[in-house]
Amino acid sequence: MKSSAAILWETNQPWSVEEFELDDPQSGEVLVEMKASGMCHSDEHLVTGDLPFALPIIGGHEGAGIVRKVGEGVSWLTPGDHVVFGFIPSCGRCRSCSTGHQNLCDLGALMGGGRQITDGGARHHARGQDLGLMCLLGTFAKHTVVNEASCIKIDEDLPLDKVCLLGCGVVTGWGSAVYAAETRPGDTVVVVGVGGIGANAIQGAKLAGAKRIVAIDPVEFKREKAMEFGATHTATSMTEAVALLQDITWGTMANKVIMTMGVGQGSVMHEAMALAAKRGRVVVTNIHPALEMGASMNMLDITLMEKQVVGSLFGSGNPRADIPKLAGLYREGQLDLDGLVTRTYPLEGVNEGYEAMRKGENIRGVLVY
Amino acid sequence: MSGIRKSKAAVLWGLNQEWKIEEIEIHPPKTGEVLVHWKAAGLCHSDEHLVTGDMVPPEEVWPLMGIESFFPIIGGHEGAGVVVEVGPGVTSVAVGDHVSASFVPSCGRCRYCSTGRQNLCDNGAKTFVGGMITDDTHRHFVNGKPITLMAKVGTFSEYACVSEQSIIKVEKDIPLECVALVSCGVATGWGSAANRAGTQPGDTVVVVGIGGIGINAVQGARMAGAKRIIAIDPVEFKREKAMEFGATHTFPSMADAMLSVMEMTYGQMADRVIMTPGVLHGEMMGEAMNLAGKGSTVVVTAISPMTSETANINLFNLAMWNKEIKGTIFGSLNPRADIPALLDMYRAGQLKLDELISKTYTLDEINEGYEAMRVGTNIRGVILK
Repeated sequence: MKSSAAILWETNQPWSVEEFELDDPQSGEVLVEMKASGMCHSDEHLVTGDLPFALPIIGGHEGAGIVRKVGEGVSWLTPGDHVVFGFIPSCGRCRSCSTGHQNLCDLGALMGGGRQITDGGARHHARGQDLGLMCLLGTFAKHTVVNEASCIKIDEDLPLDKVCLLGCGVVTGWGSAVYAAETRPGDTVVVVGVGGIGANAIQGAKLAGAKRIVAIDPVEFKREKAMEFGATHTATSMTEAVALLQDITWGTMANKVIMTMGVGQGSVMHEAMALAAKRGRVVVTNIHPALEMGASMNMLDITLMEKQVVGSLFGSGNPRADIPKLAGLYREGQLDLDGLVTRTYPLEGVNEGYEAMRKGENIRGVLVY
Repeated sequence: MSGIRKSKAAVLWGLNQEWKIEEIEIHPPKTGEVLVHWKAAGLCHSDEHLVTGDMVPPEEVWPLMGIESFFPIIGGHEGAGVVVEVGPGVTSVAVGDHVSASFVPSCGRCRYCSTGRQNLCDNGAKTFVGGMITDDTHRHFVNGKPITLMAKVGTFSEYACVSEQSIIKVEKDIPLECVALVSCGVATGWGSAANRAGTQPGDTVVVVGIGGIGINAVQGARMAGAKRIIAIDPVEFKREKAMEFGATHTFPSMADAMLSVMEMTYGQMADRVIMTPGVLHGEMMGEAMNLAGKGSTVVVTAISPMTSETANINLFNLAMWNKEIKGTIFGSLNPRADIPALLDMYRAGQLKLDELISKTYTLDEINEGYEAMRVGTNIRGVILK
């Protein structure tokens, strides 16, 4: 069949919205009619080359849609089912999946190749070439074929243009505070960078009972949004936050510091470490440049104050458990998804949406098909 | 300054009697001891357990405990006050400091204090009988005879001589009646849900029994991010209070809750069940276990009659569904860290304390206060002195 998608042919070029050829789903695969896709910073990393995936590629990894056709052997999905994609597949069988760490499923190793998990082939083609898929998904398309390992079935009463955000940014931010940081009631939590991830780290910290949440961002609009999502204090920089934290914690500093900047910088890690209390935990959620090899950290401080630095992928959550769980919290009014969506765009508006992200005007832009 | 001080105190002379207001004599504090003027004391159910005998060792055990009689005893273990005199060697408080009582002492030196489990301090063994924690001799006398203190703090007395291990300095901007509530009931209930049960954001939590402990378990579950909090109590007033403190659903009994919990959780049942009835009888555990889902945690906070030996627990289900039953004292918190931490949550507007106080009483009105607790018209009564 024919459909249309936003394709990246070369780095540092705009997304090209054009028609492509889509094959039928093979064994273990599913054809999904996409309804919405979040515009996450990681797709921008494809454009800049920070994420060195093979091109050409259909972008988008934060999506939701309706199953239209299933390949052989897919027993638990039928046409008409609503699905959110997990940006990391979960096979349910490897060691990580078997021990409550689905976010580290071994199939994740195939993500860089952008080809189908089943046979390494491509189902998407344009201009006579095979197309890769961002995170094995390609949600910047009106239709896509993905492996069942990427699909999470959700209840049909949930609006797809909101719950699509659960595929990446919301769980990543929320889980960074709840699971990776292990925020406890009464904690003081710092969130550095209030974009699509940081806003949800604030929501997670709030729900987990943090007493004080300090949000740090240079952009005033984002600091205002942070207060709406539950921050109790804001600062424009980590440097500025030092005196604030000393004051509000009576000198004991923050229990958790969550790093959710647009692009991480190893050279500012000492500032993050300085905000952390004795036994404080610094969570590194944001993407650092792949070839960056250094970070400024005083290792004596780590030993003597027993500070911890913890990496987190997908908020250390399990896609199959946490996407439905957070959908449930949204339904009960305990998680704000509506407020995350600053603007919606048609597929053709993808470049406009990313321009708004670069300028700091969007918490999250969403493509609606 | 030093000398024998006279004080009014509520004394229990035997099982199933009323509290009697007596004049007692208090000797000055010795090494490691502090004389406190208790300004506020909570009317906690545990003191009632002394009256009913639920928490009184049987008479035949008394000789083994080295005592002639468990009575008379000065009641009260939930309190706050002001330091009026300190004995030699006391470094953590000074005259004029505001202090919280801690019904479990924390020596800071035993294995439990040394491993983040101050609620289990070895000196807790000394809180039921005999004289001072410090040297086993007595400082309090009634009619010339030694009298012991509930939890070795005796907050139903105007003044008491206590070990430094049983008091915690607090900031002076917090009203003392709020400090008093945190010293036992608030910490115990809050910690049962937020700490011992391990409540996580998104959990379904059932709290059975909404008194001074259960209402704070509701607060703890809310602060830990529970999605649904089901409060169970036969008294309508308490179910209403539970909703004010963050419950999302209420039922008069566990049996009434069963089908609804099944429905709202799509058959998964609760992640945490917290048992905080006035008295926990073993036969209540069967229903509690049935409200709990696969891999869930049931926390036993309430006092059961000391000599009861059975509970109707299906151990097949416990094993096959990987459930766990956990006991807790003081919500498994550390008094010296968590009493100040809870007070700071109150200061930040996260924790409700003022709303817990249903009514205040003078010391002379103590029996009236306990009668209100028995008939269920109080969440918490507080004595102000």
